[in-house]
Amino acid sequence: MAAVESTIEQVKEIDVDKYKYGFETAIESVKAPKGLDEDTIRYISARKNEPAWMLEWRLDAFERWKTMSEPTWARVDYPKIDFQDLYYYSAPKNTDGPKSLDEVDPELLETYNKLGIPLKEQEVLAGVAGAKVAVDAVFDSVSVVTTFKDELKKAGVIFCSISEAIREHPELVQKYLGTVVPKSDNYYASLNSAVFSDGSFVYVPEGVRCPMELSTYFRINERETGQFERTLIIADKGAYVSYLEGCTAPMRDENQLHAAVVELIALDDAEIKYSTVQNWYPGDKDGKGGIYNFVTKRGDCRGANSKISWTQVETGSAITWKYPSCILRGDNSRGEFYSIAVSNGHQQIDSGTKMIHLGKNTSSRIVSKGIAAGFSENTYRGLVSAHRKAANARNFTQCDSLLIGNNCGAHTVPYIEAKTSTAHFEHEATTSKISDDKLFYCMQRGLSEEEAVTLIVNGFVRDVLQQLPMEFMAETQKLIGISLEGSVG
Amino acid sequence: MSVAVMKTKAETSLDEDFQKLRDRLPGGSGVLAVRNAAHQLFAERGLPHRRIEEWKYTDLRNAMKEALPVSIGDETPVTIADLIVALGPFAHVDAQRVVFVNGNFRKELSSVDAQSGVSVESLADKLEASGDADSGLLGEFGEGAPDDDVIVALNTAYSTDGTVVQVEPGAKIEKPLLLVYMRAGREAAFTAVRNVIEVGAGAEAQIIEAFVSLPGAADAGQANAVTRISVADGAKVAHAKCAADHGGQVTHLGNWAVHLGKEAQYDGFQLTQGVSLARHQIFVTFGGENARLDLSGIFLGRNNDHIDTTLVVDHAVPSCESRELFKGVLDDRARGIFQGKIIVKQIAQKTDGKQMSQALLLSPDAEFDSKPELEIFADDVACGHGATCMELDHDLMFYCRSRGIPEDVARVLLIESFIGEAIEKIEDEAVREAFTASAVSWLAAKK
Repeated sequence: MAAVESTIEQVKEIDVDKYKYGFETAIESVKAPKGLDEDTIRYISARKNEPAWMLEWRLDAFERWKTMSEPTWARVDYPKIDFQDLYYYSAPKNTDGPKSLDEVDPELLETYNKLGIPLKEQEVLAGVAGAKVAVDAVFDSVSVVTTFKDELKKAGVIFCSISEAIREHPELVQKYLGTVVPKSDNYYASLNSAVFSDGSFVYVPEGVRCPMELSTYFRINERETGQFERTLIIADKGAYVSYLEGCTAPMRDENQLHAAVVELIALDDAEIKYSTVQNWYPGDKDGKGGIYNFVTKRGDCRGANSKISWTQVETGSAITWKYPSCILRGDNSRGEFYSIAVSNGHQQIDSGTKMIHLGKNTSSRIVSKGIAAGFSENTYRGLVSAHRKAANARNFTQCDSLLIGNNCGAHTVPYIEAKTSTAHFEHEATTSKISDDKLFYCMQRGLSEEEAVTLIVNGFVRDVLQQLPMEFMAETQKLIGISLEGSVG
Repeated sequence: MSVAVMKTKAETSLDEDFQKLRDRLPGGSGVLAVRNAAHQLFAERGLPHRRIEEWKYTDLRNAMKEALPVSIGDETPVTIADLIVALGPFAHVDAQRVVFVNGNFRKELSSVDAQSGVSVESLADKLEASGDADSGLLGEFGEGAPDDDVIVALNTAYSTDGTVVQVEPGAKIEKPLLLVYMRAGREAAFTAVRNVIEVGAGAEAQIIEAFVSLPGAADAGQANAVTRISVADGAKVAHAKCAADHGGQVTHLGNWAVHLGKEAQYDGFQLTQGVSLARHQIFVTFGGENARLDLSGIFLGRNNDHIDTTLVVDHAVPSCESRELFKGVLDDRARGIFQGKIIVKQIAQKTDGKQMSQALLLSPDAEFDSKPELEIFADDVACGHGATCMELDHDLMFYCRSRGIPEDVARVLLIESFIGEAIEKIEDEAVREAFTASAVSWLAAKK
């Protein structure tokens, strides 16, 4: 039992009482008035100097949102959100656009330093020569600094905030925005469509392999503000891009709402790799506070031979409601989903993926690893479906859950729908604790109990860790709080 | 979004039939009160539809547009020879028979041996004998099973007959008990039957339910069958069901509620073939430690058949073992559904649960939907599920063909071996052979 306890200790270290990113930065900010109505949307749109078509789009989404009701099918339980009691827009005060890092509020830079976000080039990856990460840093809702723009420009890659893209590249935004996640897709996506404040926009032109990993760090800062990020990534024919998203948020008591939308579009032969490490405040040990995270992420393999790969490490948030999905529309397209979801304290995670096979010879792979501890609930909910015309669709799904302690729950709710005989679907799920046999075996080989547990847990999540970009490995290791000797690399 | 829903034709006619027929249904005022309450539930909720999560894949409101007239006091002439024909391979099983035709007990066709410690009676007789008291036979679906299932409520309201089996502690039913529910006559009817089986501590029983039809019977039929089984501590029960018809517009709504005591062992098996719309629900609750459950089944569909198997296994106590294996073969535009949920309660440590559902799709238009669910609240468990679906393995087919086996023979051979894994779970050889023969006859019936 001691081994299990030590694992509990290790998992505990991730968050709960010792949430290491729990600090607030005192920066003045500009807010929209509390509450949500058409005026709020007009205010947001005006603040961002948006063209009329964008405002109309937002208002239309708002109209639709008003007719919808909150989804209740997920296995998450939380007090009803009062959508009129939130701020829908908040921006750091000096948003005139700093020309260089020197102009950035030092306190802001300090915040990022505390988070370990390398804004300056030389800090990008300490010790890793040659690697470059462009950061479109989001402080609450407005992009403050975007680095590496020039280098990306040389390659023809557009990487900017979505507000800038709306102004500078309206033709691209109009063509693609809302085509993967329509404004009436679901309750939270509609809300986001109406009030999204900012987010990232990436366009990789035909045949270009993006020269570096793109990355955005989100940080929720202002009290009682919902954050509504909107990300749109387009990989044109034959392009490749890898995008990293990492999140931390300060400690506070009020629940915060976060409803992001991410849309990925891969045209012929293109590939998008999207990795997330999510570590928002999960609430204190009694389950008070914490972020509510209702995210709609969807990728569209629109072209033939395209590929979209989602990798996520979910350790934070009080409520996680997130299903990064792939629509495999193009022939021979491929979707992947790799997930590690760690829940502790009173966290509730309901996450999974949808693989929708529409084109011919499409394939998908799902590897989901859930670790539940404390009083948490950890649910995998997924769908794999093959359309009648999706000849030779292939899927392999593996969902494993590890339970640590007797007060948590691990659930698996997969939906498998094959509408054609040539579909070849395999699904497998297991739930267990760390088996005494495995522990015994390791210890018999001379490992201490703690090392043995580490080794076993390491093996448990290994399939997914291997999918993470190098840059995230260190962070993930820290987050999972379990050393991963030997298997990294 | 709550939308006021218009009653469908089926719902209206079932409603009206009940008003008309309720006084003719067996049982006194106590039983009638239970029937009224159940009918009330049905009237309020109506037939389940796809907006209800458990019925996502089987939109019964849409699929069962019309309800057939309810059969009460049927007297269709049926001879022993007819019975043998209808039973097909099950006629060869050396068993005691309890025969019902269109939901009505037929003493002249039945043969039950008198055996001490075992009582086999007709439900209608028991209900009549209970006078004005509520006999409890209809009132409760099963310990641990949901008490608000609409299909069960429909059965409670309409049950005309069924079998009540009681096995005293330590007794053993010598010969398998074959409960035959036959569809006969040209009148298409809706029948509701209910079986209540209680197996005492340390007792043993083997029970087979056969839902069959007499050649020449009406093309359409609707059956609602509920079986409640309680297996007391240390008892052993083998329970199998065959829902086989001839491919008309036949609907079969089946419900099993199984409750297992300490160290009980229960082996359940279900075969479905030739039924155009089937929904089998199985609810198993573990009530005592170290009990063992082995559930398996095969479903064979062609044309527009729609076969749904939905089961819930509730590990409410520690140290129990459950195994489920369901295999489907789907041809033409047939659709197979498997929903299996394993619940492990917080106290149910040392639970060992494994579930597998597999489907073989023989036609590009066939469909298989699977939703295997795990709901786990205890940490010291080993639970898993698997689901696969695919077409016939080309390599295996090539192997057979290269050995000189003609394609159609090879096909049957491969399918037989595929479903064989599930049929092999049946321990009794004669029973196993009957089920195999029944399945093979379905395979061979393909043009």
